[in-house]
Amino acid sequence: MNRRWLSLGPLATAAFVLLETGCAGKEYVRGADDPSVDRPAMSTGLDKDDVQLTLKTLLNQLRVAPIMNEWRTSAGQNDRPTVAIAPFINETSEHIDSMLSAMLGETETWLVNSGIVRVVSQERQADMIRQVEGAQHPIFDPRHIPQYGRQLGVKYYVTGKVGASDERTQDARRVQYFLFMQVIDTETSEIRWQQKAYVTKAIR
Amino acid sequence: MLPVRSALDSGQPREAIRVLNQEMSVGSDAELPADMAGDNALLVLDRGSVEQSTSQFDRSKRDFEAADKSIDMLDLAHDAKDTIGEYVFSGSSGRYRAPPYEKLLVNTLDMINYLELRDLNGARVEARRLAVMQRYVADDLNEGHSAVLGLGGLLAGFTFEKSDQADEALRWYDEALRISSFRWLSDSVRLLLARGQYRSPRLKELQGSASPAPPGLEEAGEGEIVFVVGYGRVPHKVAHRIPIGLALTSYADALEPADVAAANRLAAQGLVTWINFPALGQESAGLTVPTAFLDGRDVPLEEAVNVTREVHSEWKKIEGRIIVSAITRLVARYAAGGAIQAAAGNERLLGALLSLGTQATLTALDTPDTRSWETLPARVAIARIRVPAGKHTVRLDARGVVRTTSIDVDKGGWALVSLMGLR
Repeated sequence: MNRRWLSLGPLATAAFVLLETGCAGKEYVRGADDPSVDRPAMSTGLDKDDVQLTLKTLLNQLRVAPIMNEWRTSAGQNDRPTVAIAPFINETSEHIDSMLSAMLGETETWLVNSGIVRVVSQERQADMIRQVEGAQHPIFDPRHIPQYGRQLGVKYYVTGKVGASDERTQDARRVQYFLFMQVIDTETSEIRWQQKAYVTKAIR
Repeated sequence: MLPVRSALDSGQPREAIRVLNQEMSVGSDAELPADMAGDNALLVLDRGSVEQSTSQFDRSKRDFEAADKSIDMLDLAHDAKDTIGEYVFSGSSGRYRAPPYEKLLVNTLDMINYLELRDLNGARVEARRLAVMQRYVADDLNEGHSAVLGLGGLLAGFTFEKSDQADEALRWYDEALRISSFRWLSDSVRLLLARGQYRSPRLKELQGSASPAPPGLEEAGEGEIVFVVGYGRVPHKVAHRIPIGLALTSYADALEPADVAAANRLAAQGLVTWINFPALGQESAGLTVPTAFLDGRDVPLEEAVNVTREVHSEWKKIEGRIIVSAITRLVARYAAGGAIQAAAGNERLLGALLSLGTQATLTALDTPDTRSWETLPARVAIARIRVPAGKHTVRLDARGVVRTTSIDVDKGGWALVSLMGLR
């Protein structure tokens, strides 16, 4: 009989170890110390890796596009065109606006550092959008780009939009993103350059 | 949770939020629990509802969105282990699976937050999420068209109408009209039909009606206000215990023959053997009629969704399975006790004690699954009216919860004002 009770010893020890492990606390980790923290996908939204990969595709295409050569030529003649960067339109089923703002910021930095265009600040644009759209709904509307262009005195708008196909089944959810970036001539509304990139995220 | 319900019943939503924060071990409303993988997702949903009722729309949308993702993850992660656990150990041992009406209402109620904040971009995201869930519920779960889409369709239609996306707005309004013929929707739909291509038999019928479409808002120098009033709370689940004999009279047909025999043996022993299972309690809305006033004038509200009816209808579908799993657990406990007694061999006293101990432990562990989104409004009523551009005073009253607010509507503009009287 005693042996039966003794056999509970290892079980109790195992239970104690499991409980201890289960109660272990979380810790904060810095990505610079442990780059692996950036790797896993944590949701079906967009993350830093998605933004970097997407911008690499899009901006590398813009670098060699004819419009960029045009801007280089103008800059060579001391006539740098003025460019505004408009918010990317979110047409997805995910609240990714903060990541789209980050994309906007990265694109702005890239253009400023290229040195071939003059970039209008976001604050000035926000004021102008408020003037055009009214204080109650001061939201960027791509249909009003010519008006924005006139108000701001900009020749080109760099903008984009993100669409998605979001599907849910009993055992998975998949979001396929389609990201478009374009350069629009504000006087003619002509799309002077456009490129796309794809990102897929899923829970399975 | 009883303390949350009690706080809401006594008109103290802040106290309800405090209790929820304490339960989630977070210091303030601004924090989300570190672990959203378990039942915390439901607590965050509850907090989002209460925050919405106190006009904390930014906090409410943050909570609804965090809970939406976690509830979806729990649903996708639910597997055979959870099902086995529900049949062997306890109804509450498995991961929480939100019923279809809860899945659809997360996005619907969050749309209200965005529309209150006049953020059409965010409202469109929620409308698209609702569409994904609507397809899943209809196509994969074969649940057909939920009545929740009456409210969801109205809000999503309004969102796309005000975003100048006429076809998407018409598609959603058509979905709402499938549920009910909202009388105030007719004028908006007829104005939209002139701008969009989407058609259905219902929409064509409206298009063909004799009365002419009203002038556009800009043309008339008017704006629009939408009123959304939720009132009462859906019935929550309560733990029930009934004798095994009584349960067998109702549910024996649904059990395996071997389980029926085992359960009958238990009943025949004459021992008082109980099964534990959840049942639906009462809703708290009753016959209450909410009221809305604009500049002192009464605004008639129309019921957009009776959530309680959805709760009852869903419960009817699963009630039998839940009681059968409770009986199965009882039989499993009895079998486990018998196995231990047999293993004890000649040592009958020890065997009996161990058997009793095992059954007692398993009985104590068997807690009925009373989890649900308890702070959902029992019903939601809605109205939409055109007003002259300018300042207006709105007063909403539901079950003694009052919201009075002043709003400014531009020519061609709009506003949505809501109240959730969760008592």
